[in-house]
Amino acid sequence: MKRIIIDREKCDGCLNCNIACISAHEEGSNFYTVNLQSPDAETRNFIKFDVGKGYLPIFCRHCDEPECVLSCMSGALEKDPVSGHVQYDENKCAACYMCVMNCPFGVLKPDKKNRTKVIKCDFCDDKPDGPSCVKACPKQAIVVKEVNL
Amino acid sequence: MKIVIIGASAAGISAAKTIKVSEPETEVVIISKEDSVHSRCMLHKFLGHQRDAKGISFIADDFFETAGITWLNNTTVISLDPDKKTVTTHDNQTISYDKLLIATGAAYFIPPIPGLRESKNVYGFRDLNDAKLLDRECQTAKNAVVIGAGLVGMDAAVALLERGLNVTVIEMTKDVMSLQLDHQAARAYQQLFEEAGAEFILEDKVVSVDVNDVGRGTTIHLASGKAVPADVIVIAAGVRPAFNFTQGSGIKTNHAILVGDDLKTNLKDIYAAGDVTGIAGIWPNAMKQGRVAAINMLGEKLLYEDRYALKNTVNFYGLTTLSLGNINPEPEENCEILIREDRHNYQKVVLKNGIVLGVIMQGDIGGTGFWQYLIKNKIDISGKNKDVFSLSFADFYDLDQQTGEYKYAV
Repeated sequence: MKRIIIDREKCDGCLNCNIACISAHEEGSNFYTVNLQSPDAETRNFIKFDVGKGYLPIFCRHCDEPECVLSCMSGALEKDPVSGHVQYDENKCAACYMCVMNCPFGVLKPDKKNRTKVIKCDFCDDKPDGPSCVKACPKQAIVVKEVNL
Repeated sequence: MKIVIIGASAAGISAAKTIKVSEPETEVVIISKEDSVHSRCMLHKFLGHQRDAKGISFIADDFFETAGITWLNNTTVISLDPDKKTVTTHDNQTISYDKLLIATGAAYFIPPIPGLRESKNVYGFRDLNDAKLLDRECQTAKNAVVIGAGLVGMDAAVALLERGLNVTVIEMTKDVMSLQLDHQAARAYQQLFEEAGAEFILEDKVVSVDVNDVGRGTTIHLASGKAVPADVIVIAAGVRPAFNFTQGSGIKTNHAILVGDDLKTNLKDIYAAGDVTGIAGIWPNAMKQGRVAAINMLGEKLLYEDRYALKNTVNFYGLTTLSLGNINPEPEENCEILIREDRHNYQKVVLKNGIVLGVIMQGDIGGTGFWQYLIKNKIDISGKNKDVFSLSFADFYDLDQQTGEYKYAV
């Protein structure tokens, strides 16, 4: 499957990946027009800073054995057998947030506006040109690679 | 090989799926007493009329056909013969198996209170059938009483409020959801429910129920002397693992079916998973147990190690809470309790000698999944030299260079 591979030493914390993610989920917007103050402006990836280690990108791994899928009681989260990506169906989700509790890496979060859905990486719907965060990274700290499971 | 699974909820379905993904040619038969597969965590959405029966299913419509699984619904298993390797159903079918998985879950329990068990308008809130019966009562009832303010009781209450009934919740302890919350976190929910019209009677006990001449409970009497009128009564006072049909089979039990780490029972080729094992009454663990049992039934060796069960999330009226571990330690446990709060958040971390024993995160729970890892693996955070509330996975960050997956550096 395709996975966003992280080279944390290359990351310099510019947060272009955050903005690209928000824009990719705001219909019709681009890097310059995206409304970062909208209540819907939610990034699915995070860059943390540590004094010793520097910038630490936290991106959904679409894990081989996804804890979020195992915790899902509504069937909203499923690992796609073909792409290997963990897909989320907002209409099935009942917002119980056991997936938020079960993600060992703290990637998942409830939506800020209504707390009725989960904010989760969708791999930009497997578009042929790849996820928007990867395209937006000026340092190639995140790149898409095929990994064998 | 023929694998028979009894029960079509989290553990049973997760096992069936696992089997069909790894060995599609294995014959799988699922026997369930209900005629639908549904998530009991969404029953309140059904009773509250936000979703129909199909809307609370957690599998695809064509799940059984696509996976090639035989589903015997509306079928109750009444006995088990481990020597002949067969189970017998209520309608006298004898079904043979090579491997059997017992995933029959748990059933609600009605305490032996005078009048309560006899009343015809007393319902549990466990299965779709319970929700359907309650739904019918809601068409005429005005006053609903919920006995027990745990998560199930609160789920029932939120749905009954949604239906416009007068709802009174009676609870023995001094707070709602006392297993998951502390006093302050519980108060926040109680207030939201009260704003929606609910009334709470805490630290009180049902002592008797008046039953009228048509067998319906009408008035609930409490230890305090209070009397509460009821048209419909929901009992949410806990559940018990359901394994009556195993009587006489020689299976080892102790209020639950006993299993080893491989989820095998003491009987040859018989496994158990989910609530019936009493290991953990929570969805994610039942799913994982179903998966582990399935892999072992297929002849591989996999141990169920994730026994950590003191965990839950709560989401009522848009207020979200994560609760993990020991959140109400006794003074003699000598724990360090750290609290941080603002207008929208109440956060509590219970520590002892640098090990996190419990957390409550109420308000913003985004990204809090790492806490469970810290608690269940007893990670020492004393060396982090940092405000405990600002911890995240970044403080334990490591990557597997081969797969690109994260791992914990501890």
